[in-house]
Amino acid sequence: MSWLSYAFEEAWASLGRAGRSAAISVGTIAIAFVALGGFLLVSVNVQRAIDRWLASAELSVYLKDDAPDDQRTALEEYLKAQAVVVAVEFISKERALARFQADFPELTDVATTLADNPFPGSLEVRLRTGAQAADQADTLAKSVSGRPGVADVRYDRRWIERLLALVTGGRVAGAIVAGILMLGAAFTVAAVVRLSLHARRDEIDIMQLVGAPFSFIRGPSVVEGLLLGGAGAAVALLLVWVLYLVISRSVGADAAGVIGEGGLRFLGVTEVMLMLGGGLAVGAAAGALAARAVK
Amino acid sequence: MIETQGLGKTYGRGLYALRDLTLTIDKGEFVFLTGPSGAGKSTLLRLLLLQERPTEGQLMVGGRNLSHLTRDEVQAYRRTVGFVFQDFKLITTKTVFENVSFALRVLGMPIDQQRRRTYQVLKWVGLQHRLNAYPEELSGGEQQRVAIARALVNEPHLVLADEPTGNLDPDLSLEIMNLFREINSGGTTVLVATHDRELIKWVGRRVVLLEHGRLAGAEVAP
Repeated sequence: MSWLSYAFEEAWASLGRAGRSAAISVGTIAIAFVALGGFLLVSVNVQRAIDRWLASAELSVYLKDDAPDDQRTALEEYLKAQAVVVAVEFISKERALARFQADFPELTDVATTLADNPFPGSLEVRLRTGAQAADQADTLAKSVSGRPGVADVRYDRRWIERLLALVTGGRVAGAIVAGILMLGAAFTVAAVVRLSLHARRDEIDIMQLVGAPFSFIRGPSVVEGLLLGGAGAAVALLLVWVLYLVISRSVGADAAGVIGEGGLRFLGVTEVMLMLGGGLAVGAAAGALAARAVK
Repeated sequence: MIETQGLGKTYGRGLYALRDLTLTIDKGEFVFLTGPSGAGKSTLLRLLLLQERPTEGQLMVGGRNLSHLTRDEVQAYRRTVGFVFQDFKLITTKTVFENVSFALRVLGMPIDQQRRRTYQVLKWVGLQHRLNAYPEELSGGEQQRVAIARALVNEPHLVLADEPTGNLDPDLSLEIMNLFREINSGGTTVLVATHDRELIKWVGRRVVLLEHGRLAGAEVAP
């Protein structure tokens, strides 16, 4: 693999000569990858929050005010008989009011000024987790809504899934923005590599005349792009880490309440590898594209 | 070694650089290509180096038709040809040793062989004491000797030289021509393009005269 060592030597020397333009190129890639890293950071933590909410998702069956006790008991037994159900708890109208007053003390007056207790009695159903259980829970939510004494059914998973759809849309939009920024970064790398090719023009002419294989002639340009892309992604990772530290310190406690144990987390190994690998790949591709000018 | 049949090269609309050139150069021959400026000497050398492709006729080297080589075949062919130019074409950022060993390195030769072979050829051209010098630290004659060393380092069958003494004084020109004679005495075919009639007379080899892109005559200098 003598061409590879030659390519690295020449690329390194060429970057040394390029100086400022190489630094600008690394900066441009870093900006694109900070956007990608920031997006991944948000995505990873939002996903953790959603996973947590999904794991604790409940089915709430609201009872009609005039539902007799035997209907409620029958409904409770029906629910307990379902494989997907872990536990069922009856919340009376009075307990629902008390819970509201405890959760929202500033709104206590609103509830007490009303003539009647506006909160319905309900059955809170804790469900098993997992994909199969989710399907079963969907079926149960539909079947229980038509049973006697049931006023309404609220199933947490539905709004979480709507949120998930929203987040997925956000991910697609983020990926498109990151893709556009990376395309811009790739053009910058290609421009820097083209400048290096120009600086090495005599050397390349001579390489062609002595019959050097194209791996030798174009290799340094590909490696130059690879190094620029890798450096840009590494700088971006460092900046995203600093960003993570700043956000963690300012909203860490609040985030822990939403996301759960550990609060905000930095990117995992997969995301870090994705960023570094992406930087290397974008750089190498841009370098290869620029090197195609050598015929 | 070299055979052309009705060889032609045109640029643009009917501007002939070479026209209907039929020529044979045998293996191991030393031939001068001469003629006034614009006669087609450099064009023929560029065609032989495959820097350009002929627009008419056949060009054969070592029994191989050069008209239809692929990109990789062109590179493989060039490894069998040494070249020397008037402007030396040395890499200014590399030392004398690196300029010569470079031709072997890009062919993937093991490093110990590269070093041994490079030293041998630089010693042969008398530059063993300037191995670490950069081209700009050398005289014109020394730079051309480095270029000759680079042309010879991979033991080519054919050496092409385009006005190799064009930038040198008469004494250095004779010195360089002596090197070409020595190369040729080892069995390598040498084709030198020059318009220096004195030099041609001094070396005394076959001369091919081109005028306006056509073969105008052939002679053996006395």
